[in-house]
Amino acid sequence: MAAAVKEKEPFNLAKWAKSRKGQQALICAAFIIIPLLLLFVFTYLPFGKMVQFSFFKMKYTGRRTYVGLQNYVDVFNRKDCFGALKLCLYYIVGALIQLVIALFLATILSFKVKGGNLFKGLLFFPYLISGIAIGFIFKFFYTRGFVFDTILQWCGFKLENLPYWLKDTSVNNWSLVATSVWRYMGQMMVLFIGAIMSVDAELYEAANLDGANKFQQFIHIILPSIKTIVTLNIILAITGSLSAFEQPFVITGGANGTGTYFVIMNKVAHTSQKVGLASAMAVVLLAIILICAGLQQLFFKFVFREADSDEESYKAKKARLKAEKRARKAMAKGGK
Amino acid sequence: MKLKRVAALAMAGTMAVSLAACGGKTDEGTTTTPGTEQNTPTTEAAEAPQDGIISYADLNLDSDCKDLTASISFFNNRTDLDSDEYKGTTWKQYIEAFNKDFPNIEVKVLTSTNYAEDSLTHLQSGDYETVMCIPAVDKADLSTYFMSYGDLDTMKGQVNYADNWMYDNQVYGVPSTATTQGIVYNKKVFADAGVSSLPTTPDEFIDALKKIKDKFGDDCVPLYTNYAAGWTMGAWDDYIANTATGDTTYKNQKLLHTKDPFKDYGDGTHPYAVYKILYDAVANGLTEDDYTTTDWEGSKSMLNNGQIGCMVLGSWSYSQMMAAGDHADDVGYMPFPITVDGKQYASSGPDYNWAINANATDDEKQAALVFVKWMMTKSGYNYNEGGLPVVAGDTETKLDFGSVDFVSDEPAVSGEEDLLNALNADSELNISNGGNDKIQQIIEHAANGDMSFDDIMAEWNQKWSDAQETEGVEVTE
Repeated sequence: MAAAVKEKEPFNLAKWAKSRKGQQALICAAFIIIPLLLLFVFTYLPFGKMVQFSFFKMKYTGRRTYVGLQNYVDVFNRKDCFGALKLCLYYIVGALIQLVIALFLATILSFKVKGGNLFKGLLFFPYLISGIAIGFIFKFFYTRGFVFDTILQWCGFKLENLPYWLKDTSVNNWSLVATSVWRYMGQMMVLFIGAIMSVDAELYEAANLDGANKFQQFIHIILPSIKTIVTLNIILAITGSLSAFEQPFVITGGANGTGTYFVIMNKVAHTSQKVGLASAMAVVLLAIILICAGLQQLFFKFVFREADSDEESYKAKKARLKAEKRARKAMAKGGK
Repeated sequence: MKLKRVAALAMAGTMAVSLAACGGKTDEGTTTTPGTEQNTPTTEAAEAPQDGIISYADLNLDSDCKDLTASISFFNNRTDLDSDEYKGTTWKQYIEAFNKDFPNIEVKVLTSTNYAEDSLTHLQSGDYETVMCIPAVDKADLSTYFMSYGDLDTMKGQVNYADNWMYDNQVYGVPSTATTQGIVYNKKVFADAGVSSLPTTPDEFIDALKKIKDKFGDDCVPLYTNYAAGWTMGAWDDYIANTATGDTTYKNQKLLHTKDPFKDYGDGTHPYAVYKILYDAVANGLTEDDYTTTDWEGSKSMLNNGQIGCMVLGSWSYSQMMAAGDHADDVGYMPFPITVDGKQYASSGPDYNWAINANATDDEKQAALVFVKWMMTKSGYNYNEGGLPVVAGDTETKLDFGSVDFVSDEPAVSGEEDLLNALNADSELNISNGGNDKIQQIIEHAANGDMSFDDIMAEWNQKWSDAQETEGVEVTE
């Protein structure tokens, strides 16, 4: 017995490292450790810290006191925190409008259009401007008697009938949403064009032969082919709406009833220096976003049911196997 | 085979890196415990002046430190002085003049438009500039970050407002400039509208604004709020203490313990009267038509040209308004229209204070001291910027306030140094501490007419009382 053990070579690290298997393992480890380390240091570690902060009453500098769940209780009790979430509805509506326009323009532009590339460029252009610059542009755009009012006056509107675009609380959020749509529509459109390009041209031909019009082609060929990218864009747009920040922060500073959740969070964290409370707000928002994403997934599963036929057959197979097993068991029992 | 060699090389590389990393860690571990260098207070920083460094008071700029070679950095909020288009003296010109006296000290100037927040981030990182303007830190933490200039008695002989950033009798900051709080206005507009003597009470002030409105109509905004810029709104907080009460202990001592400080005292004084001026002006249409799109940079030349009657801003703005157009002579600066028992007060106080990094090397600290003292006494910075005197015994200034009494806030009593900060944070009113949104809301409510002024004040009183309760503060009527 003892001799047998001696015969078997003891594990040699150096030798293992030189072997093909060892080399493979080491290289894999070496390559994977760098992205993992970056991911950990810049994403998970700060996130963990933030969760930790949310249990403290603390400022950026100075002492910290542990307060348990008090910050979370405050988030749910404060009027401004959840009131601000209502503003997200404006941005969600804006995002859906944006999606429809983008899809419409993308469909048109992916067929042969005169000056198509020029239009693509023009529509995509706003996305390239920095957010801060957009803030300044639109502050002047909406100023009383400036650009927007002048254009509307050319169209026959009277200045006294026009609202104050940023002052009037019934329209100012729509003004900001319009800015956001203006900026991101082009980007969304380009994504859709890319997806539509990959649709097989023979399908159109076949549809033409069958006498389908353009709208029918869109509904039955284009939309099903690009539904993955549509779904993705909807998810991104809705999470983006929940965390809307740039437009209200730059254009109005969140004043006059335009303070979204992020703007309020920024104010709590930086002006009042309630870092703990702000961290708790961030964690709550994360939870809300996760819930929304989950709901969307369920929703799309329901809408695009036939797409999941693979999964259904897998379930069916599982059920069949289970039934067989049960039958075998029953037989064995009967045999006894 | 080639593949194998490359792989071996890569492996050797990674192993070497990881070995080096291990080595580094153990080395540090034996010499110092990690972390102590940056964030925990070191006792030596609190004792100043240190060995080998000539203190602020003893430093003689004509003879000392002429051969000192060092490179220091200087972080501040005056981005406008970075631009060559600035009509006053720019940072470049100051540094050039400084290098004539001290050619071997290199000063790198860094500025930020978002100084109040950026500077806190710098401090928190542990790696910050040699000379900085002190942002909103707790006084108890001063010695962690900054070097002491000396004790209070010594520094009182050197600079005014020495107690502004004082803790445990040590002074950590010297004022860059000192400002007073009044109203910057266009003399010509006021004269043409028939306002012969400057208003001294809220009612007279509102009357004056009405006269301007009647005379100029849409051509001139009587009171420009600068709502959109935000911080210009927070400026209103600076008038509620000395100016509105004549009591130098009000802001740092009485306010902390007063029950309902925002209530109506009925005699046109106290915080209520200050904010009421704003509410009434907006409610009577004496401010700009669309407040959400005000433009701060543009407002300077508008005031200079007579398109704006006045703006409620500290005296630091005076020099900028004069520089903004061709009518420098029309720009004037008047006391805030509140009279307490027949007398007008103007609170004067330091602007940002300069402080020196406690973790710098001795050479850098000495160079920083030389630079700060030079800026204070030789550069003319304060006078150029229209400040009140900051060097003890100095009287030169561009401001002329007649019979108005200049007073400055007494510091908080011992043990309550951070109480105002705590109450500000808890109540989220952030008085004189970036509480812009609460004053923007006064304008919104006045314009929309959806909340009376007394209701707003009642809400603030409630918030203040809740904060006092949280902090366990003793409250008096």
